[in-house]
Amino acid sequence: MSSQGMNDQGTPAGLFSAEAPDAPFTLGQARVLVVDDNRVNRHLLLALLERGGVRQVEEAEDGNDGLARLDSFKPDLVLLDLMMPHLDGFEMCRRMRADPRWKGLPVLVQSSLNRAEDRARAFAAGATDYVTKPINAVELVARVRIHLQKRALLRDLEQYHTRARRELAQARRMQEKLMPGPARLAELRSTLGIAIDSHFAPSSELGGDFWGIQRLPDGRTGVYLVDFSGHGVGAALNTFRLHAICQQLAPACGDPEDFLAAVNTRLCALLPSGQFATMLTGIVDTEAGVFDYASAGSTAPMVWAPGETEPRLGDGTGLPLGLLASMRYERRSLPLPPGGRLFLYSDAAIEIQQGCDVLDECGLAALVGRHMAQAEGARFLEGVLEDLRAAGPIDDDLTALVLTRLS
Amino acid sequence: MDYGVEQRDQEAVVRLRGRLTFNDHAKLRALIGEMAQNKAKRQVLDLSSLEFVDSAGIGMLLIAREEMVNAGKSLVLRTAAGQVKRVLTVAQIGKIVTIED
Repeated sequence: MSSQGMNDQGTPAGLFSAEAPDAPFTLGQARVLVVDDNRVNRHLLLALLERGGVRQVEEAEDGNDGLARLDSFKPDLVLLDLMMPHLDGFEMCRRMRADPRWKGLPVLVQSSLNRAEDRARAFAAGATDYVTKPINAVELVARVRIHLQKRALLRDLEQYHTRARRELAQARRMQEKLMPGPARLAELRSTLGIAIDSHFAPSSELGGDFWGIQRLPDGRTGVYLVDFSGHGVGAALNTFRLHAICQQLAPACGDPEDFLAAVNTRLCALLPSGQFATMLTGIVDTEAGVFDYASAGSTAPMVWAPGETEPRLGDGTGLPLGLLASMRYERRSLPLPPGGRLFLYSDAAIEIQQGCDVLDECGLAALVGRHMAQAEGARFLEGVLEDLRAAGPIDDDLTALVLTRLS
Repeated sequence: MDYGVEQRDQEAVVRLRGRLTFNDHAKLRALIGEMAQNKAKRQVLDLSSLEFVDSAGIGMLLIAREEMVNAGKSLVLRTAAGQVKRVLTVAQIGKIVTIED
């Protein structure tokens, strides 16, 4: 967390605006509103607070007066008497709690009402804490300090949370843009006769998965699916790096195994120890009717032709990217005739827990088999995802991609 | 995930149990520190009771291997089964870490 990042939040005037969020808490900047109908009491409290180090204090003489001052004074804490004319402390407290702006404001009740029922009533009205008169100076200042400190910490946390959420949402939109959008997919469909339907669901705001498709200079179509180790922000940052590398290298690499080896060499120089990526990349060769691919520890690709009832599994074996710079990969091939389909997915789909084992590739293949007859790629994917969710909780990034050869 | 360590003459055998995932990072870090410190040259991770490993878990095993090399020790992954064995095989982890059945 940087202090600069917090200052553009438009914090209201008061305890928090002047300080960096990690600056030590000081009572001197706290604003306390004293609400009491008795002038002598008010002056006594004011003197106690001042002696305790609280310098910004405003007085109000009943509940109405107190409520009226909230907006302009913006207190960090209200020191509230209960028995007052016009509008008493109970009602003032209730009204503050009903207003979202003052819902979290610490209200320290100071009252001569001393019975358990009175305390219970005050807490029911929304009081934060309670001290009884005669006031003990040390106790009063100690409680004021505790509540102010707690509020300062909570504010910090809330601001941090709001900022983190906003930034993650923005990063999420950027990450989604790494993958081809509807316009690009429509273009591929009309020019290449290849339809792609996809699903991308990070387990937190950001994920370590992405996929891409690239038209090669010779007219063939390259497709790839990447899954970084781990998930969350670290893995997501890696997807941006790898995306840039893929964009740069893909047009120059005609063969999937060369592409994978080139990407691996680049990643080895970038990734710290313990981080790696699995990747499957392949080329749809419509003339030969095959999918030529290479895999770096990816899940097994699945293909099927129209009319078939179970998918054919490819082989995902291979050392993941980023571990050994000199690694060479193997080219493998699967049939992909006109009307045929290719199904790629991240490992979340085969790591769903089933008793003390996991769904695994065979389990997924059986599940895919139930939806293979579905003519629409999007409907097929929906059906598979629904079954996966029914199979158990998915606690990793899940990306799935179905490619259909239209002709 | 939890683990038990057994010191023998020449080697230390660490038996991992349960699921090794993203959430076990701190625990495995501590274990790696322990393995680097004890006096056995050969550190064996017994995976026979490990039910599941995800990609982050594999990453931690690779870190363990590197830390052992840095400490002048060797790391062996022993008797993986089920999903753990499948993942180690698909990712060809045997090319980087010694794997024994």
